[in-house]
Amino acid sequence: MSNPMEQFVIKPIIPLEIGGVDVSFTNSSLFMVLAVAVSTLVFALCLRKRSLVPNAAQSAVESIYEFVQNLLKENVGAEGLKYFPFIFTVFLFVAFGNLLGLFPYAFTFTSHLTAVGSLSLIALLFNVLIGIKKKKIGWLGTFMPRGIPFALAPLIVPIEMISFLSKPFSLTVRLVANMTVGHIMLKIIAGFVIALGVFGVVPLLFNSCIVCFEIFIALLQAFIYTVLSCIYLGDALHEH
Amino acid sequence: MPQLDFSVFPSQLFWLCITFFAMLFIMSKFIIPKTAEMINLRKAKIDGYLQKAAELKEKVEETLDKYNKALQKATEEANQSLQKTQQELDASIERKQADLSAELNRQIAEGEKKIALGKAKAQQQIDEMSASLALDVLKKLGFDNFKAKDINAAIKQNGDKL
Repeated sequence: MSNPMEQFVIKPIIPLEIGGVDVSFTNSSLFMVLAVAVSTLVFALCLRKRSLVPNAAQSAVESIYEFVQNLLKENVGAEGLKYFPFIFTVFLFVAFGNLLGLFPYAFTFTSHLTAVGSLSLIALLFNVLIGIKKKKIGWLGTFMPRGIPFALAPLIVPIEMISFLSKPFSLTVRLVANMTVGHIMLKIIAGFVIALGVFGVVPLLFNSCIVCFEIFIALLQAFIYTVLSCIYLGDALHEH
Repeated sequence: MPQLDFSVFPSQLFWLCITFFAMLFIMSKFIIPKTAEMINLRKAKIDGYLQKAAELKEKVEETLDKYNKALQKATEEANQSLQKTQQELDASIERKQADLSAELNRQIAEGEKKIALGKAKAQQQIDEMSASLALDVLKKLGFDNFKAKDINAAIKQNGDKL
């Protein structure tokens, strides 16, 4: 049986180096590009024939649009709608990354700490920038909630800093762990299908169920990642 | 575990930034405006219809109000006319009844007069018949000295007594 971790190995496809830093185009990069290409293609196809009374495809796109919009409204409020494109893109990027990874021989870039961590870093920077733009110097109040005696500052500020920095970390770990475990499970059970010969039909059926479940998990995790991004965005916009 | 291989971090970050921002650009420039356009257009149209419906409703209520007022007015007029007709009818009936009762009274009086006349005539005939009968009886009994005049007087006397 092959190593179930083998599917996560990042292999360079086009070696590339900029300023001494290795930025090779890898299988992970390929699937990032694919996620963008496929999502754009799917949406463009769905929106090809637009009408006031939508057909099924247009309806699907509009449902996703309104779903993310409501998510943003509920968690951030009407002022959050300015940042809709960012949240919408985060949702689709993660969702397509998760879903594309479910295809056989595909690579799941959302199962990599470095990839999801980068995305979380972008989201964190985005929130910090919005927070600073909105509250100016008052943004530093994030680390020192109001109503707390100044004497407690040496204790509170580091705690708040850790809590602030742990947000993207928890966001990343949650998604990566879910994706990794799902794919390892699929691979191990797939190994049993071959090993058990005729009786392999049992793990095969089981695996089929798990694939369906993984599709659900892929969307659910994209949803959770988006909801938490919304909540962190809300924190950046509102007072504590 | 390949997930913990941080040597690929620069490459991952680099390509993620490129792809993510490319997607952000595509979404915010093409997909989102296209989707929003139709949703907003639909919403505007629905809102327009709703407004139109509200206007029509107001118009209907106005018309209904007018209709009710007209109906009330017509009912009042009809009631007045009905009352007038009733009064006229009552007067006419009363008048006819008075005429009828006068006519009846006249006819009754006439009838009574006729009856009285008949009665007097009959009395007279009875008297005459009684006189001739009495005369015949008396003749047969042999009282010839009685005259019709006396008998008549006697009968008249008795009749008056009766």
